[in-house]
Amino acid sequence: MARASVVERLAIATASTALALLIGVTIVAAAGYDPVRFITSLIEGAVGGRSAIARTLRFSTLFILTGVAVAVAFRAGVFNIGVQGQFVVGGFATVMSIVWTAPLLPDGVIGGVGLLLIGFVAGAGAGGAYGALPGALKAYADANVIITTIMLNFIATGFVGWLVQNPFRGEGNAAPNTERIPEYVSFPSIVFDSPGFSIVGLAIALATVAIIFVVMERSRFGYDMVTSGHQESAATYSGVGAKRTVVLTMALSGMVAGIAGAVFAIMIQGYYTDPSGIGTYGFDAIAVSLLAANNPLGIVPAGLLFGGLDSAGSHIGIYSDVPVQLIDGVIGLVILFVAVPELFRMAAERTGLGGESR
Amino acid sequence: MSLAEYAGENRIRIAGIVAVVGVAVLATVAMDLPIIDIVTIGFVERSLQAATPIALTAIGGLYAEKSGVFNIGVEGFMIFGAATAATMMWIISGGSPGQSDIWLAILASVLISLAFAIVFAVLLIRYEADQIVAGLALWFIGLGFGPFMAVLVWDSRNSPSLESINDLTVPVLADIPVLGPIFFDTSPLVLVTAFLAVAAWAFLNDTKYGYWIQAAGENPEALDTAGISVTRVRYAAVIFSGVMAGLAGAVLLAQAGSFTGTGETMVSGRGWIGIVAYLFGNYNPIGAAVAALVFGGLDMLQIQLQTVGISVPNRLVNLFPYAGVVIVLTVWGSTRTPSAVGEPYESEE
Repeated sequence: MARASVVERLAIATASTALALLIGVTIVAAAGYDPVRFITSLIEGAVGGRSAIARTLRFSTLFILTGVAVAVAFRAGVFNIGVQGQFVVGGFATVMSIVWTAPLLPDGVIGGVGLLLIGFVAGAGAGGAYGALPGALKAYADANVIITTIMLNFIATGFVGWLVQNPFRGEGNAAPNTERIPEYVSFPSIVFDSPGFSIVGLAIALATVAIIFVVMERSRFGYDMVTSGHQESAATYSGVGAKRTVVLTMALSGMVAGIAGAVFAIMIQGYYTDPSGIGTYGFDAIAVSLLAANNPLGIVPAGLLFGGLDSAGSHIGIYSDVPVQLIDGVIGLVILFVAVPELFRMAAERTGLGGESR
Repeated sequence: MSLAEYAGENRIRIAGIVAVVGVAVLATVAMDLPIIDIVTIGFVERSLQAATPIALTAIGGLYAEKSGVFNIGVEGFMIFGAATAATMMWIISGGSPGQSDIWLAILASVLISLAFAIVFAVLLIRYEADQIVAGLALWFIGLGFGPFMAVLVWDSRNSPSLESINDLTVPVLADIPVLGPIFFDTSPLVLVTAFLAVAAWAFLNDTKYGYWIQAAGENPEALDTAGISVTRVRYAAVIFSGVMAGLAGAVLLAQAGSFTGTGETMVSGRGWIGIVAYLFGNYNPIGAAVAALVFGGLDMLQIQLQTVGISVPNRLVNLFPYAGVVIVLTVWGSTRTPSAVGEPYESEE
């Protein structure tokens, strides 16, 4: 595929999203619901009022982080579909490390900040290790990353689900949950006083984007990563260890996914629960990253868009009869259309839009 | 190829098999496992039934890949197949399905899969979609719209109990010891699958169309020079793989007797496992079916372990097939894919 210009990519992303939403609305109408009401509640749910915006930003924070995790790997040509699993393992490690070390540290702000740091290091470390594993299997045994990472997602969900049900269930908990992390280990509520969202979480996401952008675009390691993804032979020739790069790429991608898991655990849940019910951020992140053409900076608007979609989804789930699953389907359609840029190029040529050829 | 050559080329694989058998024997002796009580006739029968959807998907997927198109959308096709079969069974029967409705539902589901497969093939071949991304997209579309259909019909992601397919008992043959109950007193879908596996193998290796499919993946230029349209061959193979995966989903539903749309839906990775099954079976339909049986067996191990009194939590035993896939890919990782897989073909004309 020729290297498309930024404008063209933006056009493709917009057209993909618009077409997917159009199909979604058509299906809503065909299923006998009122499409106009559906669209209004979509907008209401995403940006209608302070609490809707806080909810949108809460989802966006997670989509931006998981989206960057996907982008790191995809940019390097490694199809890490396992961000969901790395997100789960990271989040679980965050909660357990905080619960275990809390008695050793003083209460209050100092202990809180210390435990936050411990939680983030544990989350990033566990996520990174869980990402490095399929990376190593790819590098040294040539095991297809797409399939091993998908399998590791199932394994992470099942295994952590078992852990929170049995050995790590909090004492006296009726539900399969771990113990709660202490009250003082949380992000401060600045600007938005909304449960489950703190501007600090969003700031961590944006800082991660900036760091990853610098690493990928400006560092030697990032350069090696991207070249070995696109031209393995050339990279090997210039002395880049392709195998090592795959493992490191997957580890970095998993670390970012682990950080996303830590933010989820600390900002939203405060404990860990059966991961089969926590939402599919790591999967939707694939759509986020593809929509952004795997560019770390593009992840921010794409993450905001998906945050809005998900936020609208939970609004629709409460205030409308339209099944929420529709939103998941629409997300799938977005990915499908992003995969077929040729479709839009041909359409643009036919209609004479965006006339000049590349 | 002589046995010695084969052994030389497949050293790692053979070492892998030896290692697995060794570990199994060691575990049996060390933990005093009652192997005879675990591998019962009932276990083989259940494993075969669990293997059918995986085998059907694998056979379709390997045809697509042989022709040079990597169809990783099979998981999505399976979800659609299961969801449409469930909703169709409900609609056709007006809410109280019987045995004949199952067959009608499977047929309807296959026809709908055919329509989806044609659209998907056009996107992949005509519009040169990124095969990996589009295949993933199909999975997500299935994960969304499969349960969506269930919610439209039943107001819930899961269907109520529908009808599951009865065993077919072939008189006389069913009385043969061991083989009788396994093959002649079982779900007819097992027999259909076994037949399809053999037919797919014969078609691929003994007919000119089978050679065309292989040539489209290995050496499209040569096929083109011979005057056969590579594009048409690929269309046929991709559409076939979509239909087979849809059928696999419908079969899964017919065996389960109800649709589950929570989490990763009732398909739960079986399409992905199907892909591994054909890699494991080295692109041979019969090999793929045997590999599917291995995964089916891992899936059904739970009941056997329970009957002999080994209590491993369900949640963990359910992970065996996934762990099995990772191990298989690690040991069997480097299969040789057809050389032109993933590349769109542009004819010179």
